[in-house]
Amino acid sequence: MTFQIGRWAKRLRAGWGGVAGTLAVVGAVALAMTGGAHAEDYGTFPGYTLKVKLIGGNQYDPLYTRIPEWEKLTGAKVQVLSSKNGFDLDKELKADLAAGAVNWCAGWDHTSFMAQYGELYTNLFDIVPKSVRDTFIQRTLDSGVIDGKLMLLPWHTDVSDMYYQKSLYANADNKAKYKAKYGKDLAPPDTIDDFRNQVEFFANPPKMYGTVFAGKEEGLNGRFYEMLLSYGGEYLSKDYKPMFNSEAGVKALQFFRDIYAAKAVPAGTINYLWDDIGQNFASGSIAMDFDWPGWAAYFNDPKSSKVAGDLGVARAPAGPSGKRLGWSGSHGFSVTKACDNKPAAVSFITWMTNYDTNMLEAHRGLMPANAKAFDDIITEVKAKHDDFMTNVFETWKVSLAEDAYPVPHIAQWIEISNASYPEFQAAILGQKTPQEALAAASAKATQILEDAGLLK
Amino acid sequence: MASSRSGRAVPYLLLLPAGLTIAAVVLVPLLVSLYSSFTAYNMTRPASLFRWIGWRNYERLFENPDFWWALGRTVIFLTVALNLEMVLGLGVALLVSRVVRGQRLLRTIIMFPMMFSPVLVGFQFNFLLNDNVGLVDNVLLQLGVISQPIPWLVNSGTANLSILIAEVWMSTSVFAILLLAGLFAMPRDPIEAARVDGCNAWQTFRYITLPYLSPFITIAMTIRSLDVGRAYDMVRIMTNGGPAGRTELLWTLMATVGFQNAQMGAANAMAYVSIILSISFTVYFYRRLIAARQFLGEIA
Repeated sequence: MTFQIGRWAKRLRAGWGGVAGTLAVVGAVALAMTGGAHAEDYGTFPGYTLKVKLIGGNQYDPLYTRIPEWEKLTGAKVQVLSSKNGFDLDKELKADLAAGAVNWCAGWDHTSFMAQYGELYTNLFDIVPKSVRDTFIQRTLDSGVIDGKLMLLPWHTDVSDMYYQKSLYANADNKAKYKAKYGKDLAPPDTIDDFRNQVEFFANPPKMYGTVFAGKEEGLNGRFYEMLLSYGGEYLSKDYKPMFNSEAGVKALQFFRDIYAAKAVPAGTINYLWDDIGQNFASGSIAMDFDWPGWAAYFNDPKSSKVAGDLGVARAPAGPSGKRLGWSGSHGFSVTKACDNKPAAVSFITWMTNYDTNMLEAHRGLMPANAKAFDDIITEVKAKHDDFMTNVFETWKVSLAEDAYPVPHIAQWIEISNASYPEFQAAILGQKTPQEALAAASAKATQILEDAGLLK
Repeated sequence: MASSRSGRAVPYLLLLPAGLTIAAVVLVPLLVSLYSSFTAYNMTRPASLFRWIGWRNYERLFENPDFWWALGRTVIFLTVALNLEMVLGLGVALLVSRVVRGQRLLRTIIMFPMMFSPVLVGFQFNFLLNDNVGLVDNVLLQLGVISQPIPWLVNSGTANLSILIAEVWMSTSVFAILLLAGLFAMPRDPIEAARVDGCNAWQTFRYITLPYLSPFITIAMTIRSLDVGRAYDMVRIMTNGGPAGRTELLWTLMATVGFQNAQMGAANAMAYVSIILSISFTVYFYRRLIAARQFLGEIA
């Protein structure tokens, strides 16, 4: 009995502490995002050490140059407990959850993974003021919401659009042959059917392939997911029933199977992930690459890419449903439930996702999550007469505003991906029919959702 | 009487810290993981550790053909890789032992692959074997050996062979170094006596060198059979068990289930079934080791 009273007293104290902390956070950051960055906007935390876990890798390091500035502004120190690649960091976060050993405050998060970390991270609606939340592109911020809880503040966001070699489309011979074969003018594909036709039209292996796609893990499941939706299908019903074993599912899987069987993609694409895809397109042997915006600067750099200077971008093609391919994800930062200084953590993640941080990322070709930064980077690249980057930012601005959608927000998304993709691979390789593969993947997904208690 | 009893307790008391340490770092995790294999333990939902589901994880394993394929593939991979590494390592060790000048430099060069992390080896081979931008296919295409690129990491045969080659490249030097140490420790007298008796090079190797090296070979095999799981990172980078499960090994399957899917209960059930594999390899090699030592004792 004594134990129980003690426990309730503890809970009450924690509750009051939570309310006080919330008020302090709102006070500290409320003015932060309306204008330039000032020391007082982010609060002061002299002597406090904020422990964080961040995603590591060359592509993320420039972002972390912003950390010393925050330390100088607030008087706090940042201790980076972990800076691993996404795969290993995901493992570590789960291990922390399992061990109940969360002694840190702020960390990396992603819209495709965040549903798994529901017990780890706190609802940011309670502690991040509205004035800060309003600075983000609404659709991007919304993708970080699960069951009415805001799980992360996005720092940049991703949706795929089409990169293509302009010279192939300008070639008179190609134009004439395409018109003769398909009865249409040769232009970057606006529909899935155009995409398929052009992939096969440009293929001339081993010198040239039509396209290349992520052939494994969540990459393949994500590509299947958006293709399914563009064909009018549904991945999960509202009551979590797998719905992808459908006519639309067959058509979606058949798309990948057809272009693979036609040898219009490198055979190895079934093992490729993002880096392999980027290297393939940069080698000049791929006509079109449906890919993430972060590659734009790399593809247009003559030091790293043979297609530099010959690069066009176009909005993702639409399927028969009218919906464009739009699988989207955002990297972001979250605050742990166990954090002992939530005001400092919120100040940190606000700083790491603010206008200046977004502009820093935008200068590297990444798509800002901050609305003003998006407008300003377009104005900036236009003023520099950088037609390519102007085209990139303007194309992606439309896609993010109109086409992008996240994966289903369930903790089992990655598990279902891992169960499904070997089946999809088997269909693409011709080992199984699309119907057999979809039935097997659906059965596995059903079992996963039943085990999780989502499906009765 | 009391003093004699306390005297007998002293060795046990002295051993107690070591015993407790071993129990803490080996026994307790083993028992916890065994227990969790009977639960619906999901790492992201810690409370699930206490949801007892009996034999369900094991029943599902026995019904899961993917698991048995992965187990079978792992046994074949272990057997072929270890034997190939041993034969090549022995060959390298014999050649290096005959070199008089620059032997130290050669020994250092041999050890280079051991210094690479398996992740790096995975990236290396992934790049070499990429069918579009990889070095191997481009060289073969340029030389006119092939007209279409070979998708090394796609077809079942070539994908498993590629992984095997990468593993052999990475670990043969372990055998070479251990067997070289064995060759240096060998007495010269029996070899000279064999030559005086008219034995040719093959007979000397077969009946003198090889029996002397036997314990070293067995120790190297035992160490490598326990350490070969290090190849997991390499396989993950090269194929991650795919495509369509064609290169799935127990390590990739367990890591996917345990860490990516967070289903640690199910992954531990896999680990406990596959532990039989590790124990049988270890028992086999220890028996071989005892037999080899007895043989050496007899001829010494």
